[in-house]
Amino acid sequence: MTHSLHREGTIDSLERDYCVFIYPARGFNYADSAPKIKRLAELIYTCGAANFCPTTLRENMYSEVATPEEVLASIQKDGTRVYSTWNNPEKLKQLLIKMKEADEGISIVVSGLIDRVRVMAREIGLNPHTINMSLGIHGRTELLPPADIRQFTTMCGHAMVAPGLVRNSLRRMKTGKSTAWDESIVLAKPCACGIYNPYRSEEMLNDLAPVYAVSRW
Amino acid sequence: MIIRGEVCVGCGRCQPYCPAGAIHFSGLKSEVDRETCLECGTCLRVAICPVDAIMDDPTAFEYPRAVRKVFSDPTAPHIATGIEGRGTEESKTNDVTGRVGPDGVGIAIEVGRPTLGMGLPDVQKISRALARAGITEIEPCNPIHQMYADESTGDLRPDLMGERVLSAIIEIEVKKDRLPYILRTIKEVAKEVDSVFTLDVYSLLGPDLEISKEVLAALDSEGFPWRPNAKINVGLGRAWEERRAS
Repeated sequence: MTHSLHREGTIDSLERDYCVFIYPARGFNYADSAPKIKRLAELIYTCGAANFCPTTLRENMYSEVATPEEVLASIQKDGTRVYSTWNNPEKLKQLLIKMKEADEGISIVVSGLIDRVRVMAREIGLNPHTINMSLGIHGRTELLPPADIRQFTTMCGHAMVAPGLVRNSLRRMKTGKSTAWDESIVLAKPCACGIYNPYRSEEMLNDLAPVYAVSRW
Repeated sequence: MIIRGEVCVGCGRCQPYCPAGAIHFSGLKSEVDRETCLECGTCLRVAICPVDAIMDDPTAFEYPRAVRKVFSDPTAPHIATGIEGRGTEESKTNDVTGRVGPDGVGIAIEVGRPTLGMGLPDVQKISRALARAGITEIEPCNPIHQMYADESTGDLRPDLMGERVLSAIIEIEVKKDRLPYILRTIKEVAKEVDSVFTLDVYSLLGPDLEISKEVLAALDSEGFPWRPNAKINVGLGRAWEERRAS
């Protein structure tokens, strides 16, 4: 999950891409945390997350294995962590306001543009505690897939979205077999942590498709 | 992972899903290259195979190959952490645990990310360089900790040197005044690794999300630009259990 801070893309695109994590601390507030986590997860759902996933299921909203109600009902275990993605800063702000009011005492982490989170925290009256900053990629970076493919693959917290799958989605769009949204759902499916943002993915697929050439055969 | 040749119909649908690019056609059937496969389980989890030809490799749960699964499959819990994934709570619960205090900086080096994966000798190259720089304590709760033969030298267990994983995170903590030197060490060893790694640092914030001046000065002096997006613990946590003994 370390990787949400290494999400790549343009500032404009990242303006519509935030993650929120509900994270109990082992040995500090695990005991009796399940009902608190469930109440916080219900806020995530009702405030309109773009995607979310509890560790009890390891299946995100687009995995087609459970309804949102079933996902929420699965949060019965102390220490469950919940991951979510947001494509609308205003919805995110409403979520944080409600989480502050709920005051459940579980750690909440927001991953996104620092300047935007600063403004949001100021408006809500939050006092952020710790920052985890990305210093980028090092080593043999020449071996990496190109940056336009990495903006998709880095949206999964555990690198489960393959570069080949992104290229395959572009190929299917270009040959008229599928739409950007349908392919975004395909790309979201392997993500076991629920932080793949299909709305941002749809925008990026539409942006990229014209610049890729494919063989119809 | 294994694709049962007698069941596979050769549709090839599973191939683009593999993050390691380990599935190819062999004749008219899809086949997993065992050396390239990282046992992440994505091909099985997405349930794309129309005839259920994909299954776990039974040897994937046997040591030393089992490290591939632990460090590549996000649904595989590790015995050391009790949680799935390759890291620990890091900065995410720092408002409750106080793991990194006002004088400290947490550093995470995720080797193999993004995308490429890596051989474990790459982890050893970095941990040896850190040991030479005086960093001989790796976060004990991280799954990687159990792979060390000798923390004082940064040596990993020799029987693991032939294994590849999707990624592993070297988590350390340093005092702020040591940060420039450690960043310089990391920059130097980056020239030796055969894969890539992502690097991040975490520290406490001041009022209005003010980032530590000492940390920023260290990043500036050592030539490490930071990305505009970050992971921010918004400070809503609190402890109610008796704090465990360290």
